[in-house]
Amino acid sequence: MAAFFVDNGFLLVSMILAAVLALSLYLPIMAGQLSLASPGFYAIGGYIAAYMSTKLFPIDSGLYPVWLVVLEMIAAGLVSGVLAVLVGIPALRLRGIYLALATIAFVEIVRVLSLVQAFEPVTGGAVGVFNIPQPFGTQIEYMWLALPLLLISGWFVYRLERIRAGRAFVALREDELAADAMGINPTYYEVLAFTLGAIVAGVVGALSAHLLNTWNARQGTFDTSINVLAFVLIGGSRTFVGPIVGGLVLTALPELLRSLAGIGLLPPGVAQFLADGRTIIYGLLLALSTIFFPQGLITPRLLGIGPRRAAAPPVAEQPASDEPPLREHV
Amino acid sequence: MTQPSATMNHAAPSAPVQSVLHVQGLTRQFGGLVAVNNVSFDVRPGEIFGLIGPNGAGKTTLFNMLTGLTQPSSGAVLYYGQNITGEKPYRIAKRGIARTFQNVRLFGTLSVLENVMIARHIHTRSSLMRGIFGLPPARAEERETRRRAFELLELVGLSARAHVEARTLPYGDQRRLEIARALALEPRLLLLDEPAAGMNPNEKQELSDFIRDVRARFNLTVILIEHHVPLVMGLCERIAVLNFGKLIALGDPARVQNDRAVIEAYLGE
Repeated sequence: MAAFFVDNGFLLVSMILAAVLALSLYLPIMAGQLSLASPGFYAIGGYIAAYMSTKLFPIDSGLYPVWLVVLEMIAAGLVSGVLAVLVGIPALRLRGIYLALATIAFVEIVRVLSLVQAFEPVTGGAVGVFNIPQPFGTQIEYMWLALPLLLISGWFVYRLERIRAGRAFVALREDELAADAMGINPTYYEVLAFTLGAIVAGVVGALSAHLLNTWNARQGTFDTSINVLAFVLIGGSRTFVGPIVGGLVLTALPELLRSLAGIGLLPPGVAQFLADGRTIIYGLLLALSTIFFPQGLITPRLLGIGPRRAAAPPVAEQPASDEPPLREHV
Repeated sequence: MTQPSATMNHAAPSAPVQSVLHVQGLTRQFGGLVAVNNVSFDVRPGEIFGLIGPNGAGKTTLFNMLTGLTQPSSGAVLYYGQNITGEKPYRIAKRGIARTFQNVRLFGTLSVLENVMIARHIHTRSSLMRGIFGLPPARAEERETRRRAFELLELVGLSARAHVEARTLPYGDQRRLEIARALALEPRLLLLDEPAAGMNPNEKQELSDFIRDVRARFNLTVILIEHHVPLVMGLCERIAVLNFGKLIALGDPARVQNDRAVIEAYLGE
């Protein structure tokens, strides 16, 4: 049993980090903002950790102090948060798909800037930063940081869904105009949701940089945006449980398929397909679940916490609201 | 011909102190169309003020300008003497003007109770972090929010359906829920956009009594857009009639009902 955890340490920690990253994307979505900016902040968080651990507090030998990793995570969260306010205020004037495009552009800008020569001392340019020091002897030990991170951010969003600020978020998601007319400041709460997501993404990036041992412009790209969006949409975008389950399961799935192919009980052709065609299977599952589970696999109703349906079906058609009035009475 | 000259000729935007709402020369153009054309009127404290007119007369556009959802092209709106022209909707809501929508705009996939709790937003102030950690003030505030929301649901007869998804309610109940949600703002001025649409005659009568009742209970001033004439005539103390964006009549129900311009607007010349 212990061997299983040690052997699969990297995968298990990656699953946890994917779940937290999915939560970071869930936060703006909770307020109705289709933002794909998380990977950009994730990349920035990673560079902050890489810079701090290799340049600011380099060690000669042995294990890197864990408290310094925590410090890097806090720094990454702070920088991401400040940056999110600056990016969010103009970007969140956009709606729907246009906001999504702007946030993709942000992710791309971060990637391109990390390659720019002026930032090379921090980002290492095209080759990136190598030999990011390890705080632990084995990868599974990253759980000491990853698991509390998931628990804290999960608990945070769980609470958020039950308080005033969270209600303002979902009101904006349901009907921004009506929410505005009910006294909720749309800009404030949308920027808040965006910023909270960015902080979480930055923190994940900082920890990931240590786990991966290296950080470069291939981390936190558009591909990551789409993957993380898939975690949220397939897992479920109506409760915080959805993105967590989505992140965990979809990160494990390709590896599960690969090991399924490796047990040798399947006909060679099928095994070959499972091993090499797993991205096809992965894509097919994405398509199927968006068709059959448009709200995602985990819905509030599934968990027994969502509102019930009314006993009687609603009136199918709303009566015309501008009926000719007065006529027979005047 | 009834020219509402008494209220139309205010030169300066200095409202008489006694009016809740002073609308002056309010105009809104959409391209070449003048949806609301130089409309002026005053709404007095505690009255139920009706806004009627044929299709496309500009009633909802006028409501949208009063609540900040549409910016006026020109003109001014004073609320208790303060200029609120062109303010953002959430700021106007904070000042004490609440509204319902012609095409019901509930938070559809949320529960009936959540819909009303959301509208307690401006009367609660616990910060994000206090709320997250459930610290004492925030905790008490949450309980109070829930209690007040239930009270309002009881008032509109929806407390038994508190945990039902709002969009699955029958249409009439959705309208009642919208009123409960607007009342949760504790407004001084309530704007109802066709509150009786889709209700049967019995429900309309009940609604009429209900509106009078909430006015008295919450000390409200009410402006309502309504097409159902018996309801408007029976309920409103004064009525303004819009036609093609212009105010063509203003006065008590009997006067408006016998007004030549109004009859022409509805029946043709």
